[in-house]
Amino acid sequence: MKRGEPISWLFMFLSLPLILLLTLPLIKMTIEPSMTMMVETISDMDVVNAISRSIGLSLFAGFLSFAMGTPLAYLLARNNIIGKKVIEGIIDLPIMIPHPVVGIAILSLSGKNHPIGRFLSDVGIQIMGTKTGIICVLLFVGLPFYVNTVKAGFESVPLQLENASRTLGAGAITTFLRVTFPLTWRHMILGVIMCTARAISEFGAIVIVAYHPMTAPVMIYERFTAYGLKYSQPIAVWLIIISFLLFIILRMLTKSINLHTR
Amino acid sequence: MIDLNHIHLTLPGFTIKDINLHIKKNDFFSLIGPTGSGKSLLLEGIMGLIPFSDGQLLLEGRDLIHCPVEKRNLAIVYQDFALFPHLDVTQNITYGVPYHNISKKEVQNRFDFLISTLGLKKIIKRTPKNLSGGEKQRVALARSLILNPRLLLLDEPLSALDPIFHEEAKQLLKKIHTELDITIIMVSHNFTDVIYLSNRGAIIKDGCIMQEGSIMSIFEKPNSLFSAHFVGMKNIHPIHQANNQIIIDGTHIKLTPASKPGKDVDFMGIRPEDISLNTFQSKNFTNCFKGKIQTIFNNGIFLNVVLQTEDICFEAIWPRSHLRDHALEINQIVNFGFHSQSVHTF
Repeated sequence: MKRGEPISWLFMFLSLPLILLLTLPLIKMTIEPSMTMMVETISDMDVVNAISRSIGLSLFAGFLSFAMGTPLAYLLARNNIIGKKVIEGIIDLPIMIPHPVVGIAILSLSGKNHPIGRFLSDVGIQIMGTKTGIICVLLFVGLPFYVNTVKAGFESVPLQLENASRTLGAGAITTFLRVTFPLTWRHMILGVIMCTARAISEFGAIVIVAYHPMTAPVMIYERFTAYGLKYSQPIAVWLIIISFLLFIILRMLTKSINLHTR
Repeated sequence: MIDLNHIHLTLPGFTIKDINLHIKKNDFFSLIGPTGSGKSLLLEGIMGLIPFSDGQLLLEGRDLIHCPVEKRNLAIVYQDFALFPHLDVTQNITYGVPYHNISKKEVQNRFDFLISTLGLKKIIKRTPKNLSGGEKQRVALARSLILNPRLLLLDEPLSALDPIFHEEAKQLLKKIHTELDITIIMVSHNFTDVIYLSNRGAIIKDGCIMQEGSIMSIFEKPNSLFSAHFVGMKNIHPIHQANNQIIIDGTHIKLTPASKPGKDVDFMGIRPEDISLNTFQSKNFTNCFKGKIQTIFNNGIFLNVVLQTEDICFEAIWPRSHLRDHALEINQIVNFGFHSQSVHTF
């Protein structure tokens, strides 16, 4: 389809409502708060703490998904294990189910009525109302994005390259480190970005597992219900601006490493 | 050198059955067969990338069945060369060096030798995406040969190359085999390449060996209808036998006493290049015929001619010069013939 062809104009026309639906509310919300209000909001240490907690815990969940999700993604990409489709379905489950349900599920498992909950309590790990609980929730909702992205990355590396490495004398782990990882680390960074992005936006499950310590989405909700739209909007704008800048930096970093390694 | 004894390999939907092969030191052995016959699978089994279900794989008397792929010291060059895209040519060639007990001096000597033999000097800093098909193949060969493997496996090494590089690569493989005294097993479906490169080979079909032996014996004396088709035999007909003759639809074809077929022979075939034009009936053929030229296909190098006698058709390959020298044309009646030795029965 070439630019200027009638069909491309038609498709552009049909896409316009969708683009407006995505951009208009965000633009309206971003330009509405006054500069004074914005400065006042960011001077509030509770807001700063909530935003930095949201971003920090989300990045940590992204890192955990890298550490724990990479072996799983490799297994699913390379092996025809029994029940592979079922496992893939389970991994996609957090995308489908309502997020308060995720919170309730995690709470029911970590409560004192459950052996796992009792075990966690015995070893001093608290889920309810803690950062650990928040990380647990963020990992739960973000993992599908990481695993699916990285699995696609592993699938894009021809098996023959790994086989060639093995025939040249490298073991399985060395092959992974010398061939598979250098060819898929961009997918891993993209996966961490996707997982972190999803985690930053999480509200439904966090509000059930850990209302406090407060993350930015919970604070936005609290300010909205307690004081109205005017007071919640600036926090939302700051969260969007900071997250946007963070992801631009991460993307640029990926591109810069990409250029240096080629 | 390498023996495959009663090798079986079972995968979902495909089985390799009871393969027995003996490959001698310095052989250039070809596994020949159509796509999906199991030849590449057998190669991967020898390499250790797919486990054989049963049988013995002996390399210089040592059973390799339970030996992991990285410890076998065999090398494989894939059809698409499988070069590591994130590494340059030098890094690709020396990739396997850390896993082998080779001194730095020896590595340098081998590297220099391969770079010069394979003509890679100008491209050692390039990455695979900036290499031509022929260059990629030479890098893949250097990457394998620097480790001084006991056996080199080539998986359709010529089929991914453009015609320009194809001939060049053929010469190179011949040179490597001759100069390095290395044992090679090559998988191919192109019998022309196999004849040029190999001394021995086997035809494989549906996971079974159909014929094994010297390449020329497979070429000249295929033992089955499948092998005959595969090695380019034409003029294949079911036969009836009578004394030293075979009869095809009323046409009598004389055989030499030595080539009298056994009882279980059902077909005969004649290579198209063994049927000659005999315009002035000057040649002393055992079998002479007169026939009408049905079609002439000039492929630029030679002529494919279909000749209709009273009872049967013959397909012949003649030099292009015949077109000019004998003014050949469709529907022309010509004399042609072939010697009894050219008649193969199976």
